[in-house]
Amino acid sequence: MQNKWIKLKKDSWKFFFLLPLLLYLAIFTLVPVIRSILMSFEGGNNYAWLFSHFRFRESLVNTILITIFALLFEFLFALAIALFISGGGRRRIIQALILIPLGIPTIVVASNMRYLFDTNGFINTILTRLGVVGIPIDWLGGGALTLFSVVISDMWKVTPLMMLILLAGIERIPKELFEAAAIDGVGFWQRLRYIILPLLKPFITMALIIRGIDTFRIFELPLALAGESFPVLSSFAFFEYRNYNNPHTAAAASTVLFVLILIAIFIYLKLVGLPNEETT
Amino acid sequence: MKRLLRFLFIAIVLFWTFLPIYLMLKVSFSPAEEIMSQNPPLLIHSVTLDHWKDVFQSGNLWQPLTKSLTVAFSVMILALLIAAPAAYALSRISYRLAIGIILFIFFARMLPDVQMAMPVSVYFIRLGLLDANLGLILAHLIRVLPIVTWILLSVFKTIPIDIEEQAEIDGAGRFQIIKRIALPLAMPGIIVSAIFAFLFSWDEFIYAMYLCLGNKTLPLMVYYYVNRAGWFGAATFSTIIAIPVLIVTLLLQRYLKADYLAGAVKG
Repeated sequence: MQNKWIKLKKDSWKFFFLLPLLLYLAIFTLVPVIRSILMSFEGGNNYAWLFSHFRFRESLVNTILITIFALLFEFLFALAIALFISGGGRRRIIQALILIPLGIPTIVVASNMRYLFDTNGFINTILTRLGVVGIPIDWLGGGALTLFSVVISDMWKVTPLMMLILLAGIERIPKELFEAAAIDGVGFWQRLRYIILPLLKPFITMALIIRGIDTFRIFELPLALAGESFPVLSSFAFFEYRNYNNPHTAAAASTVLFVLILIAIFIYLKLVGLPNEETT
Repeated sequence: MKRLLRFLFIAIVLFWTFLPIYLMLKVSFSPAEEIMSQNPPLLIHSVTLDHWKDVFQSGNLWQPLTKSLTVAFSVMILALLIAAPAAYALSRISYRLAIGIILFIFFARMLPDVQMAMPVSVYFIRLGLLDANLGLILAHLIRVLPIVTWILLSVFKTIPIDIEEQAEIDGAGRFQIIKRIALPLAMPGIIVSAIFAFLFSWDEFIYAMYLCLGNKTLPLMVYYYVNRAGWFGAATFSTIIAIPVLIVTLLLQRYLKADYLAGAVKG
């Protein structure tokens, strides 16, 4: 009994070391989250209003479409890059250059992408010069073309992050497997299908869910590229609050986003597992 | 054949990576009549410093620059003061006790910023913290603390607990152990976390959108110009924000790990 007390007293510093962080997270994360969930139920039936409102439905659909297409293209592109640069020459310098977009702030990416996608931007210039189009294309006016522009912009910024996750996985595949496959004369596509992809599976699951959660929360790119003509859940919540002075519907929209993310986190914990001692 | 294919593919990827950055620099140095035409040329035809002179002389630069710097430095220092002790304690608690807190930090990294930003901005209006540096610092910590704690936790985990136990047997107190063993061994990791904390605040956009109306930060200036089709203002301000981040990213290659950056880099 006395030993236990001595041990507890000896370990009490841990409590005081953790206290500031826990207090901060409680006041500035937990309380606002609860507050916004409560707010979403005040001032009328905000959820019924949201789901009957076409702009909200549009932003929900846009968010989901961005997630599907961005994940698909980013995954394929990232896998191709990871396969090409692993095991080749000048690996370090090539990787350093490919990771550069991670260091470009997202709002700057949005601004740069406007030089490409604007009506008198560089993509239209090239298309006009090649004679593909007569009238400049309105990329950022909403709809499928804007979806394409946002997905391309997101791809530019975060493909390197997905590449990093996949590369870490590829590097863990034992070299002997490839050597054995080479001796047996196995071709590239078979190696990909029967060795690389099965062994990469946990990394692919992790990459897709973590990136999926990030794309649900996408904000800067659609906001700065197309504003209100291409709303997503985050930017819809912002417009409701700032432009229409309606904190309750804003809270409801962000709570819908919160629920989507919660589902994704549960799928992650189910498939990938708790953050364990090795990964933390 | 295989090498040629690899070379071609990497060339395409590098072209794709550098094209937008090239355009940003090009626009910031191009004469207005060249860019604002129907078909702006892709290559550099003539160079002008007009837009850069504009930025420095217009008086629009110093206020956002000092605000961004002040906020980012304060966030960096506060994040270390709060996250480093917590991460150290977490790394010295049994996993079964720590997992609750670790899971909460994991969740906090994934939450949508708009959900916290809106109630926080409602509180801050009442407290008079809107547009104040203090308000933005407190808000940026919401985003920065979970990530920095996560990074520091992995840093402290690499310090073997045996050394500390040995020191304890030799009669060293906890603060002696921290000062003599934990801090020196963790120093490189702590410096890297500090740099990340600075950068995550430096390029933060969402909380700034909710909390700044008059006194803008640098990222908000880019948005301001983008919104008004001010191509040159957007290009110069973009370059000013991107350059320090780019240099640091190139220097910190070894530390660009997916685990560090998940939830911190997004669209």
